[in-house]
Amino acid sequence: MSFVPGQPMCVVAQQIEIKKLRQGDHLILGFSIGGGIDQDPGQNPFSEDKTDKGIYVTRITPGGPAEAANLMMGDKILQVNGWDMTMVPHDKARKRLTNKKEDVVRLLVTRKTLEEAVKHSMGYPNQCH
Amino acid sequence: MFCRNQTARATVARGSALEMEIRRGKFRKSVFLETSQDSDIQKKIDHEIRMRDGACKLLAACSQRDQALEAAKSLQTCSTRIMAYMSELQRMKEAQVMQKVTRRSSDAGPMDDRLPCKGKVAISDLRIPLMWKDTEYFKNKGELHRCAVFCLLQLGGEIFDTDMVIVDRTLTDICFDNAIVFTDASPGFELRVELYSCCSEDDYSAGSTPRKLASKLSSSLGRSSGKKLRASMEPGACSPVSNGGASPLLLPVPSVPGPKYHLLAHTTLSLSHVQDSFRTHDLTISGNEECSYWLPLYGSVCCRLAAQPLCMTQQMMSGCLKVKQCGADPQSWTKVHAALKGSSLFCYHRQEDVEANVEPAFTIAINKETRIRASEKDPQSKVQNICVSNQYGGEEVTHTLTTDSREDTHRWMEAFWQHFYDMSQWKQCCDDLMKIELPSPRKPAPATPKQGSLYHEMVIESSDDLSSTVSDILARRLQELELRSQLGTSPTWMSLFEEDNPKSAGRPSPCTSRLSGRSPRTPHRFPRSPVSPHRCPQLGLLSSDVSLTSDSDSQCSTSPCSHHHNWPEPSNFSLSSSSPSRLRPRTLSLDAKLSTLRGRGYGGGGGTFQCPCQPPPSSLLVPIPISSCSPRSQRSTQTTLSCSSSTSSNSSSNSEGSHSPESSEGLPFSRPSPARRSLRNLRARLDPRNWLQSQV
Repeated sequence: MSFVPGQPMCVVAQQIEIKKLRQGDHLILGFSIGGGIDQDPGQNPFSEDKTDKGIYVTRITPGGPAEAANLMMGDKILQVNGWDMTMVPHDKARKRLTNKKEDVVRLLVTRKTLEEAVKHSMGYPNQCH
Repeated sequence: MFCRNQTARATVARGSALEMEIRRGKFRKSVFLETSQDSDIQKKIDHEIRMRDGACKLLAACSQRDQALEAAKSLQTCSTRIMAYMSELQRMKEAQVMQKVTRRSSDAGPMDDRLPCKGKVAISDLRIPLMWKDTEYFKNKGELHRCAVFCLLQLGGEIFDTDMVIVDRTLTDICFDNAIVFTDASPGFELRVELYSCCSEDDYSAGSTPRKLASKLSSSLGRSSGKKLRASMEPGACSPVSNGGASPLLLPVPSVPGPKYHLLAHTTLSLSHVQDSFRTHDLTISGNEECSYWLPLYGSVCCRLAAQPLCMTQQMMSGCLKVKQCGADPQSWTKVHAALKGSSLFCYHRQEDVEANVEPAFTIAINKETRIRASEKDPQSKVQNICVSNQYGGEEVTHTLTTDSREDTHRWMEAFWQHFYDMSQWKQCCDDLMKIELPSPRKPAPATPKQGSLYHEMVIESSDDLSSTVSDILARRLQELELRSQLGTSPTWMSLFEEDNPKSAGRPSPCTSRLSGRSPRTPHRFPRSPVSPHRCPQLGLLSSDVSLTSDSDSQCSTSPCSHHHNWPEPSNFSLSSSSPSRLRPRTLSLDAKLSTLRGRGYGGGGGTFQCPCQPPPSSLLVPIPISSCSPRSQRSTQTTLSCSSSTSSNSSSNSEGSHSPESSEGLPFSRPSPARRSLRNLRARLDPRNWLQSQV
């Protein structure tokens, strides 16, 4: 899942749609993110490549909307509603997810197990989406 | 008309500008005899032309951006060198013509005009401060505008370039570590310093995007980035010297696709700027904000310019002398071997002592105050004596020197006159010998993960006594701050720290004046003060110990911000005491802090993060040790941190979020003492190495 910025990258990705849950004045998704281009990538416990500055899911609130949508801890978020998340500062990533005008976020995520699953099932190397 | 003689090894390319120049007769070699000097220069020109061709080829071939930048830099340097050599060649030709003319008319007499001795000039530790606008920090859209810069230094015929440095808004100064030594400089030297820069963003490599797409891009991109793109598409638009300064007549730089450097600023230094310490000089800036290669320069350059004239480092004259001190017995002549060097005449008993580095028998000072005259002929020896008078303290001491023959006396007098002349020409350089360090062989730069950001150099020493560490740092910063004088005494929150800081207590330092006055001369090494690397607190530490939430903080009144005099009571701190904690996304990232600064009072910036504290009108209590002189950047970063300190308690962290959100309403969690908690917050805030997590 590591890539060179500016060069095309090929991963197996999954679309996950999460409906935000309204709690009082806030809309929550029920997970936490970590990472960003302004963060230290070496401390990311979920990334394979320790120079990866992407946004990763670090925690899923049990019983929350994210869990219901099958988001998993350790997922790398590639896009949120079409916005890129592979090369954003941490706060921008948070903002993209917490936009009050949007009830639903469609995430494009990837994880290692996806690739392996595809490999096993098809017997080919990575398929690009 | 180009004739190839035995010294020229290479031909000039047909149709090239050089050939045209030769055809035009500027370098008519058949008319003049080619001296050895000429052939030297010619060789150098040929060499540089070959280097330039090589650089062009490399530029055309390389795909990586930094390789291209380096190649473009060597191209620029080669072109400048070629220009310089050509003009020198021309000058020499003209001088030859003049000489031939005058030689016929003048008689062979001794040259009356004296030439001062040459010397070495060294320039090192170049530092150019930048002055980024606030908007660069606050309104940035995530893209980092970067430029590649380097300096070209020219003295006489020698041209050197520094290493290339990539500059973006995380840098407060452009620092060039190279030390450059020019040998063979005369006292009237002019050292020209030129700063070249080139925009270093991949998207904007001119020529690689098709026109139509580029125009679409430029219209659809944001205003500033579109402007940049358009500017880079027409490199000639904003700078008159877009082709690297080469005049169109002589050697137009071959247009190679790839990055082009433009002259951003320049200045000329001379003998009056020479000093044995750092000094600030003004820069003349060319270009304006619209150019792609623009950088917000503060307008000055700091450097250390030192000079070593030969008369200070080498023996100008040596020989045998007989010395007699005035007032002594007329027959007590001491025979010595004397050496004139620097500002003294060293007298050794024997000649071998000079090489053996033995201490001289005695030393006679020869400096600006010395007076030397030839006395009347000694009736006995018929040789003129030389009287050297110095003022030692209040009295005048005269030494009389004599030699064996008239020619020797004449030579010594000549040496003394030359020495005096040199000292008058080199002025302050002859007071004391200035140290010039020869540039050591390239050491690989210490591998830092991120280059140049002040945050990453700001390491917090980890010690057992956390409070002392943080309080030390804060105390140190406080000293540099002007707010101190406004506050009068140390802020109340300082008392939270266990140990007393004598430094902080009694330092009514006139901070602004100190900062502004001394910052330009602060050696750039300051930010690199060695501090032991901070052992990054594990996430676990954060989550377990920092079990503070905004709830608790809101109730606590000892958080740092509440003690800031200008800030309101934390009554509305508890933005979330009513709502469950999990609805509070909190981040510690810089962008968050900055956006919060904007968002507060402006109706909620991004998300639900609100900090009720208002920033104090002027600078604040948690400064960063900034060694650069630009006040603007100082202010903005200070403001940044202020926000951070104020929101530290709010941002209780991410790790809170990582706990189960059920632990929100009124949980009995352990409350560490306010001091320790605020310290930990502060520490978490100040340490950019925490890997932030936000709850969404």
